Amino acid sequence: MEESKKIAEEEEKWRLRTESGRERKDRFESDAGIGLKSLYTPNDVQSVEYLRDVGFPGQPPYTRGVYPNMYRGRLWTIRMFSGFGTPEETNKRWKMLHEEGETGFSAAVDSLTFAGVDPDDPIDWLEAEVGKEGVPLYSIRGMETLVEGLPIDDMSVALVVEPVTSAAVTSMYFNVARERGIPMDQLRGTTQNDILTMTIGYVPWHSLGPDELLKLACDLIEYCTPMGEAPKWNPVNFTCYNYREGGIDAVQEIAFGLANAVAHIDELLSRGWKIDDFAFRLAFHLAAQRDFFEEIAKYRAARRLWYRLMTERYEAEDPVSKQFRFHVQTAGSSLSAQQPMVNIMRTAYQGLEAVLGGCQSLHTNSFDEAVCLPSEEAVLLAVRTQQLMREETGVADVIDPLGGSYYVEALTEELEHRIWEYFGRIEDAGGIVEALKSGWLYKEMNKAFDRRRKAVESGEEKVIGVNCFVMEDEEPHPPFRTNPEAARIEIERLEKLRAERDNARVGKLLDGLKTVCETRENVMPVVMELTREGATIGEITNTFRDMWGLWDVPMMG
Amino acid sequence: MEKRKIRVLLFKPGIDGHWRGILTVSRALTEAGMEVIFEGFETVDTIVEAALQEDVDVIGCSVHSGAHYEWNRKLNETLVKKGIRRNFLVIIGGAIPHADHEALQGEGADACFSPGTDTRDVVRFIEENVDR
Repeated sequence: MEESKKIAEEEEKWRLRTESGRERKDRFESDAGIGLKSLYTPNDVQSVEYLRDVGFPGQPPYTRGVYPNMYRGRLWTIRMFSGFGTPEETNKRWKMLHEEGETGFSAAVDSLTFAGVDPDDPIDWLEAEVGKEGVPLYSIRGMETLVEGLPIDDMSVALVVEPVTSAAVTSMYFNVARERGIPMDQLRGTTQNDILTMTIGYVPWHSLGPDELLKLACDLIEYCTPMGEAPKWNPVNFTCYNYREGGIDAVQEIAFGLANAVAHIDELLSRGWKIDDFAFRLAFHLAAQRDFFEEIAKYRAARRLWYRLMTERYEAEDPVSKQFRFHVQTAGSSLSAQQPMVNIMRTAYQGLEAVLGGCQSLHTNSFDEAVCLPSEEAVLLAVRTQQLMREETGVADVIDPLGGSYYVEALTEELEHRIWEYFGRIEDAGGIVEALKSGWLYKEMNKAFDRRRKAVESGEEKVIGVNCFVMEDEEPHPPFRTNPEAARIEIERLEKLRAERDNARVGKLLDGLKTVCETRENVMPVVMELTREGATIGEITNTFRDMWGLWDVPMMG
Repeated sequence: MEKRKIRVLLFKPGIDGHWRGILTVSRALTEAGMEVIFEGFETVDTIVEAALQEDVDVIGCSVHSGAHYEWNRKLNETLVKKGIRRNFLVIIGGAIPHADHEALQGEGADACFSPGTDTRDVVRFIEENVDR
């Protein structure tokens, strides 16, 4: 007490001395609008009790990390989100990445796989989008090709698909693993399976309604985890990254993610499971954005909040249920099409945030991602960016190296309060599913779009190459192009499959799926059979659409 | 006589759902005093019909799927076939490499806008080039 009084007096004296010096801005604030002091002292962290609020890595409240030895034991996974053209071409890229030191795979799928449509569906010229944004995975044939010759018994694979196609694509993968003789209980990986990615991160084409999306998401979680069919598989990854990319701030990013997790937890509890039957497999995917210290504090605050939520609200007992595990992606929206090489530096700083924040795996963006899918040259540099952190900088040698920084601890605490307050606002709006249906979430997203646009256009938010240090007559960067033959190749692949498979059997199984949709049982067992027998992504997803109907997205809020 | 508001029809062809771009532009054009008809996902044929019925001045097409050549060609060809290409300004925007702008304009687009565009440039382009 004596000391804190003395520090306050000295701080006041120091402040008076600095007041004569002008500051660059009238007000300094973090990206989320937290007012920043010019200096932090022990007095700013007086309410932080070390053992209660910070503690030790691998121990509650996990502020310093979820594992006792963190990167001293095992470094984070280098997991590059990758896919384009055809499964053959993506397989080749994955092999290259693996040879160059990638330690986990992540499948980016095309818009058809994402929406659950076959390329020969008679919709307005779908062929134009085959293989353009990711790898086409329309049946088990595509999946077999994607992972052919890759050590999937040893390395984890992330499938970036959402509830509308998560059962279909995950079951394709499970079936391929079985064909290769890998026991299901050894299979490691993740399905993103996030209801918000395809609703607010990305507006869905012909989507099911929020209740059905939640049902499908929980079906996969239930099948893998409490039912024990794929116990090491992470059946959901609450993808805060994708919402953040819309322009919301760090506070909203974590609050949306927590509220989303709560919706799934409550659904699974209502199905009769206990919190510790499944919570240990719930994982997150966060952004690394431009405000360096705020992002690091955000990861720390998220771990603490999850611990408190699991302990106080759900009374979880298994320590693993209370550990907030997350993948990080550096922020695609922070990249510029102008002077693209600058993106290499942006990504390196953001990658460092993730590592100082204790992520479990990391995707670093390629410098050309503001305009096209990554070229080989660009993605290799992105992998090297992570390897440089691991091998040359020493940043992974001490756990939570910024813990104890007056600034970072104060910011962690402030973010924790603000996230909890905003989380309360989502609950007041009826929780995440209600907030989706009512358009509340869209209103929040639209406000964020607007705020970011105005901040950049007014020059308040500086972006090199866009609103400052602009270079006229810049030579455009040559873009990476996907295979123009992809549509033909994929349509032929499907025609061959339809000729080879037992169509009567597939038809019967699709009828079975209709019944399951009616009775609202778990769709996974029948979808596992369907994809094994060669049913396509469109056949499965259209069954859901036919049975449950489409949702009119209230995207204007 | 009071000048009629510039009418703009915005849509996304195909099934890609990256929507931040189109909503951002929609808001900016509305703030600039234009009348924006936001169609969301639509087929090119339906959009061309809607453009005629709504008597718009500008058709804005947002593509983030990498299929900007395909959709630009289809939109412009459909308009040419109906003999109404000159009735509209046709703008294409989205995740489009700057290296592709010239070729897209050669295939019919009046303007292309890529990530990092100041929305005031879109407003200015429309105001200066629209035929009312």
